[in-house]
Amino acid sequence: MYANDRLLEIHQRSRTGPFMREVEFDLMLAKRTNELLNEYNIKFDPNLVVPADDDLADRVFQAGLQLLEDIGCYHLDTQRVIKFSRAEILDALRQAPDTLYLGEGRDMVIARHRGIEDPNPPLNLTGPAGQPCSETYYLPLMISYAQEPYVQAIESGATLTYNGYDIMAGSLMEVKAVQRDSATAREAIRRVGKPGMHIGDCATGMTAIGKMAASEPVNLLRPCDGRLVAQMCELKTNDDQLIRVPHLLEYGSHIINLMTPLTGGIGGGPAGVAVVSVAETLMGVVCYFATYHYLSITHIKWTNNSDPWGMYVLAMAGQAMARNSHIVWTDDPFNVNGAGTLENLYEVAGHAIIGSVCGYQQHGVGSTGGNIVDHHTGLEAGFQGEVAIAATRSGITREKANEIALKLLPLYKDTFKDPKLGKPFNELYDLKTITPKQEWQDCYRQAKDTLSKLGLSFTQGPYD
Amino acid sequence: MIPTEIAQKLGSALTQGDKDAAVAATQEALAQGIAPVALVQEVIVPALTEVGRRFEDLDIFLPELMAAGEAGNACTDLIEQAILKSGSQMQAEGTVVIGTVKGDIHDIGKNIVASLLKAQGFKVIDLGKDVPAARFLEAAETSHADIIAASALMSITRAGARDVAILLHDRGVRNQFLYIVGGGSITQEYADEIAADGFSETGSGAVELAKSLMAKKRGA
Repeated sequence: MYANDRLLEIHQRSRTGPFMREVEFDLMLAKRTNELLNEYNIKFDPNLVVPADDDLADRVFQAGLQLLEDIGCYHLDTQRVIKFSRAEILDALRQAPDTLYLGEGRDMVIARHRGIEDPNPPLNLTGPAGQPCSETYYLPLMISYAQEPYVQAIESGATLTYNGYDIMAGSLMEVKAVQRDSATAREAIRRVGKPGMHIGDCATGMTAIGKMAASEPVNLLRPCDGRLVAQMCELKTNDDQLIRVPHLLEYGSHIINLMTPLTGGIGGGPAGVAVVSVAETLMGVVCYFATYHYLSITHIKWTNNSDPWGMYVLAMAGQAMARNSHIVWTDDPFNVNGAGTLENLYEVAGHAIIGSVCGYQQHGVGSTGGNIVDHHTGLEAGFQGEVAIAATRSGITREKANEIALKLLPLYKDTFKDPKLGKPFNELYDLKTITPKQEWQDCYRQAKDTLSKLGLSFTQGPYD
Repeated sequence: MIPTEIAQKLGSALTQGDKDAAVAATQEALAQGIAPVALVQEVIVPALTEVGRRFEDLDIFLPELMAAGEAGNACTDLIEQAILKSGSQMQAEGTVVIGTVKGDIHDIGKNIVASLLKAQGFKVIDLGKDVPAARFLEAAETSHADIIAASALMSITRAGARDVAILLHDRGVRNQFLYIVGGGSITQEYADEIAADGFSETGSGAVELAKSLMAKKRGA
């Protein structure tokens, strides 16, 4: 099908597809997912968070494809189901890009599809990842990300105020804040000497109007940058999300399919959520024309993905797509602990190793479950990229990734119920030089030391 | 006293989220002349409370909680009709108007709180998501609600919770309703800043908060 026809067809189906209450769709999804887990014999073993089983990966992909074909996706405004045939899904998947050019000029990077245990190191497309930021420290905070040597792209965070006033989604304040924050992200990359660096999104924009307000090619977001188009849990969209698609297609911008599947949520346990994650990736291909994908697995209680459930979903959904598609996709570590804590870096490391081995480019980092203002910095984001590259360089296999992840887990799992929130950016960094203070650098070195003992081979890092 | 067989049948249908079986068991109980209020207090509330507890412990997942909630709603609808037919009124723990604030379309947390409140015998008026402040107030006034509960997941939408507080104040009805807030972007500090009556990080915490505020209200 021609891309333009597909877009119009999605709109038509969102107006004419089967009508049902949202709760009915949720329960249908839960039931069908459970059936597919039995049909394809997919089970979660907490001692094997990174299975090295190609056949299992293929079954997860087939189950996800079947799920999307069987139940479609739900349009929240019209309460209708948009259905796709298997041929339509696979045709869209065939048309999806396998190579992307992110950013421009000397700072442009090429993002390619990655395979399992891929020897090519992943890119690190990072930033505050939608976490709450104060406007006071926003520019130095963004610089702290952009300057990191293991970072190839940044995503603007979500500020809370504009000149001290609350920002409200859907109001002129949202547009003003998006304009300011996009310009600030651009200023940050300019200040660190990387003016062409890809900017993944402006997370302050919540609505289509907010996202689209960033489209201005001189001072704000350029076609070589990107914008998120999100799915609501699970397999749901609405007009506000779909409106962004033709705008971004016309602007020539990257479209990033944001998925936040909930472990313990409608998809059920980790095995079900792995299947749902594949279905959501395929939905992003068909519905959103995504150039790349962003999987942000979220635990229903702790809003992290550093637990065994999150690890398993990351590993299995990643392997499923790595073996059965050519798409480019990313994942982000979401941690319970905040910047300034060793535990935060261990949560990042486990995720980076699994993601690197299971076919992802890197994205992230979310700290304190994305809840606490400014409790995130560039250091842990750069650390993620450094660990991911070390995993590739060290030839880490899936078996070894499983072993390391399970050895890291006891170093932080007791914090799930009582997280260490760490310190805010302005206390962890020298704001004149925008460098991490000694205590945060000490954590970095200690974490690297631990990882070296577990089998990762590092080269000189920025804080060694 | 409810016959054990009926209690077990209804309780088991509810915990398994089997709506048809739960409705059939409720109809059977009502046909046998079992007091509707007893059915709610002795079977439905304990069964749904147990489901809520198991969800909090992650022994079960969200679909099981939702299915049990759906089954519970169907049963209480039947029971409410029976009570009205008898000329009485159903006594709820309190009435809660709940929704996610303007601009926020993330309602899973709000849905969990609504399910748990219903399980505890509260009458819940769920306004859904992306609810403007004026609609919270209108629904609360129309239903003579005790509590207004607003949720915001995204940091950029949490100002909607402040909007509700300001509107209640500006309309001179702030003391008429208990106002509680929650969701990923709300903190205790923010709740204090907007002078909410309470805040909870978790679903079970929100139920405890609602119960304690209602107890205080009744005692006042």
